[in-house]
Amino acid sequence: MPEAPLVIIAPTAPAKTRRKAPSALVVFGIGWLMLMLIVALLADILAPYAYTALDLRNRLSPPILLGGNWLHPLGTDELGRDVLSRLIYSIRTSLLIAFGATIIGAAVGTSLGFLAAHFRGFIEQAVLALVDFSASLPFLILALAVLAFFGNSLLLLVCLLGLHAWERYARIARGLALAAGTQGYAAAVRGLGASPWRIYGRHVLPNIASTLIVSMTLAFPEVILLESGLSFLGLGVQPPETSLGSMVGYGREYLTRAPWILLAPASTIVLTTLSVSLIGDWLRDKLDPTLR
Amino acid sequence: MLRFLATRLARAALTIAMVVTFAFVVLRLSGDPAQIIMGADAPPEAVEAFRTAWGLDEPIWVQYLSYFWAILQGDLGRSMRDGRDAIVLVTERIPATLALTLPALAIKICLGIPAGIYAALHRNSLADRVVMIIAVAGFTVPSFVLGLLLVLVFAVQLGWLPSGGQESWRHGILPVITLGLGGAAVLARFTRSAMLEVLGQPYIRTASAKGVPWRAVVTGHALPNAAIPTVTIIGFMVGTLIAGAVVVESVFSWPGVGRLLVVAVANRDLAVVQCILLLVAITMVCANLIVDLLYGLLDPRLRAAPRKAA
Repeated sequence: MPEAPLVIIAPTAPAKTRRKAPSALVVFGIGWLMLMLIVALLADILAPYAYTALDLRNRLSPPILLGGNWLHPLGTDELGRDVLSRLIYSIRTSLLIAFGATIIGAAVGTSLGFLAAHFRGFIEQAVLALVDFSASLPFLILALAVLAFFGNSLLLLVCLLGLHAWERYARIARGLALAAGTQGYAAAVRGLGASPWRIYGRHVLPNIASTLIVSMTLAFPEVILLESGLSFLGLGVQPPETSLGSMVGYGREYLTRAPWILLAPASTIVLTTLSVSLIGDWLRDKLDPTLR
Repeated sequence: MLRFLATRLARAALTIAMVVTFAFVVLRLSGDPAQIIMGADAPPEAVEAFRTAWGLDEPIWVQYLSYFWAILQGDLGRSMRDGRDAIVLVTERIPATLALTLPALAIKICLGIPAGIYAALHRNSLADRVVMIIAVAGFTVPSFVLGLLLVLVFAVQLGWLPSGGQESWRHGILPVITLGLGGAAVLARFTRSAMLEVLGQPYIRTASAKGVPWRAVVTGHALPNAAIPTVTIIGFMVGTLIAGAVVVESVFSWPGVGRLLVVAVANRDLAVVQCILLLVAITMVCANLIVDLLYGLLDPRLRAAPRKAA
């Protein structure tokens, strides 16, 4: 195993505050992400049709830009289902999965990291061995294996994707918690007789939150890509539910006759992951003193 | 050096043992293997015979040991679909996958590393910006989108290249480009940040201050030091040679290991999935081991210390 740096040295001096206005790209990223969140939250109101509704008279109708009509602004698919409506519901599904999975990953990883830092000894070695284990398998392969063994459900998919990147949070949390242990504040609270729950929950966690949030913004687009990849392969979100990846997978059959089925969700995936990555890079520069 | 090697080998063996254990636990958790492998409508006496034959009536730790022993002997079970040995089924797909992933690896290295070095040496120049924009795009565009776009342009619109299948070498061009471009972007990004970090070090300033020509500073001091993080990423890429093309093989209907894996997962063909899982883990662990040994060559400090202090 290449041993990744396991000890992260906490900043001794306060980080230089850089007052830099976010660039146009970052503003675009924030705007796009807001738009996606609004679409996801208001999907029921915004979608002109139900995502399973058929319009058999207007099958494979092209979008407006390619000479379609206003009934279906982004066109329809082979069964006459409105691409715009399906896109809106797919955005909701994909974002829901990505948010859920990112939060699970951060919670699991951080807890294990804290456990390792608190108990040391055997538990720490066990956590580190698990980190080694997840580094030895590409996550997509691991996810495929678990789906093969357990079959598929939305809950399992979210939990499974939640395991993605847990080892990164575990490493960060362990390193920073160890560093915090040597700093005054954690020792002071311990001296006052605080329970480990209180020390880690109320004192260490807030102090390392910015690093964790940056890791989450970096992991979020990866989760979207993983989910859409699995759904594209037909092994993620199952019909009649729809996600951005499964829309691309479905649209692939009509690549020559109706490329719009595929292009709408594909560009949404790209723009969303791009936006979150841009925001993540910007936040990293701004917030995180341990990563440059 | 011998101790360094021994520690690394032990850790590699431990990791593979953990993967085997994982496969065993997950296999047992997922239900009665006899039922799964024989099928739900198998006659009870056949299921019972299967249980005895595979030792499923033994205590769980005996099962675990015999499972481990079977794998050590290369017995990875049979495919549920055609009853052939899973290992044979998987290994006969490997050449097809390598035919994509090896040229793609060459593209990644030949394109990604020079681009990253150039961008770092000309920081904030137009070329740097362009490389970085392409690199970020390479990360955010999923391989299936890139692959399908290439099909749309080069196969559907222009009609230059076939869109899928494996009849001739021309069928491999689009998948190799899809794989190569994505990886090159990642590698360029890593190489650039590794180079920038090294270029900020005091020894670079010392070397140029004492009058060493810039070209010699870069080749003699910067490149070897920046090689370490880059080698890690390349090691990861080598580790995914066998199973790194799951999505791309599906896009281009390429009959490799990835395609086999997707079909096996969809059919819950557990023996094949488990076989691929182990194979991937072994490749990955071996690649990581080689990377560790290369570290020893690249960085003499690591030879003495078994644990790298970061």
